[in-house]
Amino acid sequence: MSRFFVLSLTGLTQGAIYAAMALALVMIWRATKVINFAQAAMAMFTTYLALFAIDHGAPYWVGFLVALLSGLLLGAIIERVLVRPVESAPPLNVVILTLGLLLFLEALAPMAFGGQIRSFPPAFSIVGLHLGNSQVAFSPFDAFTLGAVLAVMVLLLVLFQKTNLGLRMRASAFNPEVSGLLGIRVGRMLTLGWALASLVGALAGVLIAPSLLLYPTFMDDVLVFGFTGAVIGGLDSAVGAVVGGLLMGFALSYVGGYFGSDLETVGALVILIAVLMVRPRGLFSLQRLRQV
Amino acid sequence: MLEVIDLTVAYGPVVALHGVSLTVADGSMTAVLGANGAGKTTLVRTISGLTRPHGGSIRLDGRDITRLAPDAIARLGVAHVPQGQGVLAELTVDENLRLGGLWRRDPGGQRHALAEAYDLFPRLASRRHLAAFSLSGGERQMLSVGRALVARARVLLLDEPSLGLARLVLVQIMARIRALVTERGLTVLLIEQNAKSALSVADEGIVLHLGKVVARGRAQQLLSEERLRHAYLGF
Repeated sequence: MSRFFVLSLTGLTQGAIYAAMALALVMIWRATKVINFAQAAMAMFTTYLALFAIDHGAPYWVGFLVALLSGLLLGAIIERVLVRPVESAPPLNVVILTLGLLLFLEALAPMAFGGQIRSFPPAFSIVGLHLGNSQVAFSPFDAFTLGAVLAVMVLLLVLFQKTNLGLRMRASAFNPEVSGLLGIRVGRMLTLGWALASLVGALAGVLIAPSLLLYPTFMDDVLVFGFTGAVIGGLDSAVGAVVGGLLMGFALSYVGGYFGSDLETVGALVILIAVLMVRPRGLFSLQRLRQV
Repeated sequence: MLEVIDLTVAYGPVVALHGVSLTVADGSMTAVLGANGAGKTTLVRTISGLTRPHGGSIRLDGRDITRLAPDAIARLGVAHVPQGQGVLAELTVDENLRLGGLWRRDPGGQRHALAEAYDLFPRLASRRHLAAFSLSGGERQMLSVGRALVARARVLLLDEPSLGLARLVLVQIMARIRALVTERGLTVLLIEQNAKSALSVADEGIVLHLGKVVARGRAQQLLSEERLRHAYLGF
């Protein structure tokens, strides 16, 4: 089996997770015009909570649900308690707040869950599938990862494009003042937006934990790659986030495979610079259209 | 009935409204006239909750709404059509219109109101699935007004609806709104710089000058007062 094919499969799975992370960042960017750097720590924390449940005898799927639900809750609480009071302040204040929260959660995790590196169980086997006589670099868990990310994206798409609630959320993100005049409870929509974004981040956490191992900063690289993917996609486009995240997955897999894994981060930077030189607003940004 | 009682609004040291009072009875239209900077937009922004007053109160059917949030005021049936930037540019025409009626949670009535709005503005019907940013200024204004009609508001606050609209379209819109006032008891506060056209459709008129009410009365009567016309209304 060709090396390129193997690397592509790895890239696709990794890319799906970066895409989820990118989507989480874009959802909050669209609603509050802030990059939520704490997303890495939030996803780390919810993954620890899942492991905590599994350690105490809960089956994997209960742990999986714990991660998603605690993600939902954590996002809502952070928006309500921390972000809301500084909402009208300059965006930089909120950015600093999310950075502070990142450090706080990463310091809190060892105290709450212990400092040692932990392994996290996968939902399905991580041994590559057999096709005839040869084994491919694609495991049942990889298939689950792809399926779970895809399912969440389809659900979000349906929510935002097909439901009145989604319409309210989009309106609130684009123009809070006018949305208020239309009777929309903009504050609630913001809370919900943070909650959903945090859920998507939590999903990325439980999906990548089996391959990365679990420690307080284990999601930091995923945040960087997801953020890069989001910027490549234009930062304000959900489709862009997914495409950007997948691109990052493929690119990093090729760079790691052909040039050595030490160069992955450099590769990410090169791709980012290359895309921004050709299309400064990213691949899918609405900004250009809005200027018409 | 919409009542504004002794309203005072200041932006820092600048007083925008100074003890303004007015009453708009159900099923009537009051025009608020005055030059740029007279405080007209501040008045509607304060009524809809976007700007906080320093003194005075606002009542809707006897209920004090002065301290309510904009969305709560909107859900009481007050639709504010802001000047110029009222449409959600990133959403489609259809989504913009639908948003107007969402607060009612009445899907049947909503569909009916939506069809009505498209009847009134066929131009919007043909652009239904386009993003609002691709509309011309006049079309955006139609969209803002159409959305307020879909909201089936009891009280309509119109801030310079004539802005960017062709004369013929404006006449059409005002005729439609006039009909709603008479038939359904809609209450309208109409902000206009173009005093002549506003007074020709309104029942009552109020003239603001530097944040104070300098004249009020029946629309016909204001139209005929030469001194007032020269001093404040510019025709």
